[in-house]
Amino acid sequence: MNHEKDKELDDFFRKGLQNPVDPVFRENDWGSLEQMLKKSRKPKGIVYWLPYISSAAALLLLFLGWWSFRPKPAAQSETQIAVLPHKAAGHGSPLASNQQLAPRNQSASHLTVQGQIAKATAAPNTGKDKPFSARAHGGLPGLAVKNALHSYTDNQLIALAQMKKGSDGPAPVNREFAMLSIASPKINFEDELVNQPVVSGNLSRGQDAGLPGQKPANKTKISLRSAFRPQYALTVLAAPDLNGVGSFQQSKVGTNVGLQFSAGLSRKFSITTGVIYSAKPYLTDFDSYHTLYKFPVTPVNVTADCRMLDIPLNIGYQVYNKHQNRISIGTGLSSYLMLHENYTFNYAASTHSYGYGYTSPTNYTVPNSKSYLMGVFNLNATYERPISSKIDIAVEPYLKLPLTNIGYSQVRLQSTGVAVGLKWNLNSLAKP
Amino acid sequence: MGEEELHQLIRGCIKQDRKCQKMLYKAFYGFSMSICLRYASDRDQAAEVMNQGFFKVFTHIESYDPGRPFKAWLGKIMMNVSIDHYRSNLKMAYTEDLDEAVHISDGNLVDKNLNYNDLLAMVQRLPQAYRTVFNLFAIEGYSHDEIASMLNINAGTSKSNLHKARQKLKQMIFKADSSVNSANYNNGMDYTPIVAITAVAANGVFLNKGIRE
Repeated sequence: MNHEKDKELDDFFRKGLQNPVDPVFRENDWGSLEQMLKKSRKPKGIVYWLPYISSAAALLLLFLGWWSFRPKPAAQSETQIAVLPHKAAGHGSPLASNQQLAPRNQSASHLTVQGQIAKATAAPNTGKDKPFSARAHGGLPGLAVKNALHSYTDNQLIALAQMKKGSDGPAPVNREFAMLSIASPKINFEDELVNQPVVSGNLSRGQDAGLPGQKPANKTKISLRSAFRPQYALTVLAAPDLNGVGSFQQSKVGTNVGLQFSAGLSRKFSITTGVIYSAKPYLTDFDSYHTLYKFPVTPVNVTADCRMLDIPLNIGYQVYNKHQNRISIGTGLSSYLMLHENYTFNYAASTHSYGYGYTSPTNYTVPNSKSYLMGVFNLNATYERPISSKIDIAVEPYLKLPLTNIGYSQVRLQSTGVAVGLKWNLNSLAKP
Repeated sequence: MGEEELHQLIRGCIKQDRKCQKMLYKAFYGFSMSICLRYASDRDQAAEVMNQGFFKVFTHIESYDPGRPFKAWLGKIMMNVSIDHYRSNLKMAYTEDLDEAVHISDGNLVDKNLNYNDLLAMVQRLPQAYRTVFNLFAIEGYSHDEIASMLNINAGTSKSNLHKARQKLKQMIFKADSSVNSANYNNGMDYTPIVAITAVAANGVFLNKGIRE
């Protein structure tokens, strides 16, 4: 009886409230909502522009990298000469000692080349011009190198200085020097320098002090000899990885395929960027799934299928390089550009059906996925080994840790995996 | 409002076009307010809750699935923000003690000359905890288990609150009947004689029929 009365009361109110009298629209209500919308819009504007700003910054960075390391045409003639002794050394010439000396003292090595040229060109003129040793070393008697350089005349030094200036120098002289140095690779001068390495240090000091005109030319040459030649490489990679939220306890296997471009900043440091297409499935408890939507029945967990473009910007440091095996470690940040997000909600068997023919949602595809810029922290280690002159094989275990919440569900998505790739060294194409 | 016109407005809202947002707001103001009014204690509170709902609508409009009825989606959001508001005011939920139950005989209710405004005012006068459960059970048609899950309370609490809500409503009806002057529950509500938006279908079992389709 009571139950019927209650039902009657409910029906009375339900029917009575069924046809609401629409309240008058109040402009003030809209005004306060407009204020709320205005306040929330500012950060969104920045986020909207961030992809463009960061893309421009990345392109600028790459361009600056290329600009600062691009080969300079003015140094071509000099580079040619500098390379020649190496070629001679490769054929069992005594000049091999030059290579050993080079790491210890770049200037000494450089002078060895000068010595070759000087001796070869100036041999017939001995005695006519003032000896180089007298001006260059003035007050340094007893130097072993003195005898070796006795025929290095001022005129030849000027010619050499001109040659070092590249395009300013007369082309025939350059060619002549180059040819002469090939023609007479066996010169005792190197032996003397090797036997007395201390002298080479004095010599460079003497040159700096006594020949101001030659100083800039020498410096240029030294810096070029020791300058790092930038290495560019393209890597095609594929990687299976494990994706999990918060931990890898409920991880699922994802797939990554991508293309990376790397540029060496120095012998040890390199910078890498690229585009990697990632399919990242993951499973998370419903607690970690954030949404404004109120589920009529709370799901047990959520299975997500996310497809995205991973744009990394990493810096690598080479820690090992012996016997053609190279190991480097790297770190950096990744941006995720979400392409597709689909969430499947899993319910406990008894709670899924929701009565009145209404069912709690089982699936949701996010219509407009967002980008998460620099939202992921990368850690990796890379092993590389050449399989041909142009191509290296690379194996890279990596870990991606979230700095921001990722995806519509705002989860802390982390990944770990091993990328395997082929690295194509672009510099091998550009060798002279 | 035609289907095409509605989708055009929604597309404008996705682009954060303020004009489209206002048009959508005005078009569904009455519908949204009628839901929020039932859960709120007065017009101002209802407007505040409704604005929170519209804020969520405009900031997450891209997650709306055009294949489903917009009104259902909007109504669900309005109900959810009302529940959120209830949760955030839990301490204020029980502000009134229940007087002794008044028994009204069968047939009394049908004879009462109470209109929408009277009934709404009575519901609004209920303590928030009772009002929320009464709305969800009697008007929306949820079960006690579902209400318990939505409000994070026990099913027993839901039943108890519903019982108390009914008792209070009976008291109000009795008082309204006994005193001619006591029928003024209008709490500053303004009404328009023009019905701008199509009212919820009168043949529906529940008011939120559209939401549950």
